[in-house]
Amino acid sequence: MVKHLYSNLKREFKNHLFDYLFLITAGIFFLILLNIFRGERIIEFIILISFAFFYIVWGIYHHIIDETLHLKTVIEYILIAFIIIFLLKIIILP
Amino acid sequence: MEKIKTFIHRLFIPHEENNFRAKSLHTDFLTVYLIIAFLMMILFKQGNIHNVLGFATDISVDKLYQLTNEERQKNNLPPLSLNSALSLAAQRKAENMLTENYWSHYSPDGKTPWDFISGAGYKYEYAGENLAKNFLFSSGVVDAWMNSTTHRGNILKKEYTEVGYAIVNGTLNGEQTTLVVQEFGKPMASAFTPSEIQASETIQNIPAIPKAKYTAPVQPKINALSFSFNLNVIFMVFLIMVLILDFYFASKFNIIRIGGKNTAHLLFIIFILIGLFMSTIGTII
Repeated sequence: MVKHLYSNLKREFKNHLFDYLFLITAGIFFLILLNIFRGERIIEFIILISFAFFYIVWGIYHHIIDETLHLKTVIEYILIAFIIIFLLKIIILP
Repeated sequence: MEKIKTFIHRLFIPHEENNFRAKSLHTDFLTVYLIIAFLMMILFKQGNIHNVLGFATDISVDKLYQLTNEERQKNNLPPLSLNSALSLAAQRKAENMLTENYWSHYSPDGKTPWDFISGAGYKYEYAGENLAKNFLFSSGVVDAWMNSTTHRGNILKKEYTEVGYAIVNGTLNGEQTTLVVQEFGKPMASAFTPSEIQASETIQNIPAIPKAKYTAPVQPKINALSFSFNLNVIFMVFLIMVLILDFYFASKFNIIRIGGKNTAHLLFIIFILIGLFMSTIGTII
């Protein structure tokens, strides 16, 4: 199962190398910013919101490029992003 | 039994009955998760799990005291008793750090930890201090201290017999934080005359106030936070698991469907989880 998962993940990343590199870079940037502003809860919240919105925009961009954009897909990205925001708001955010 | 099997099958494995996507990832299910997350947020806000500064922490004197003594017992050392004079010294030290805006054992105007301990009326034969900030949980504080040689040395010092704590919220260098101050001491025996006073082991004495009279300083009362934190981590792990399963079966059965990319969702959640754990890491000196 792991081998199969690995080869499919590899294929997916290979097919959309630029898109995933873009997302990973943004993710690393998000972690660096969180580390810089650690303890400053309002800035942490702004960083999280920005990353979540970036993720939604990334999703739309990726599916436009992939020619698979659909309203259902956009809603899925928005729902996942907001679920995470609400969950984190309980723990660490103002 | 067959119904449960079918239900789980629909919930996690993409096939024709769930429109080739795990039911737990359908937009209606995601909407339910969103509503639950939103209600939880409101509930915990109403339950006042956030302190006055608007950020949550689950550090308590009782837990710190319990964990410190557990560490001592693991090393065959007698437990420390809680002393209100040391707690008062800790409280004043924390407030002084916030007022004078410094993060150090020594204040910019030269006040030492021993000044705060003596100032609280505790005459000691031995005394020591551990500091921590930005932690979310008591266990994180004690673990960090135990992983540092000097702080561990304080916790496991056989000469200490008493301890005091303060947990104070405030703004330090423009950063909203929770300061934790732990003061150790051994009261000076009345007949004892110090021959030498050192920076970390000094001398004096005050009768220890019985533990029964101790009242903990005002602190965030937020045991719900651990529950909420664990619940959130469990939920995110559940989402990761569902995404992996859905991705695995969709690629195994060569399913082509309309929907978001599981790999992207996975990356997003993993980055968020790393960020969440990063924000629970505090600093000690």
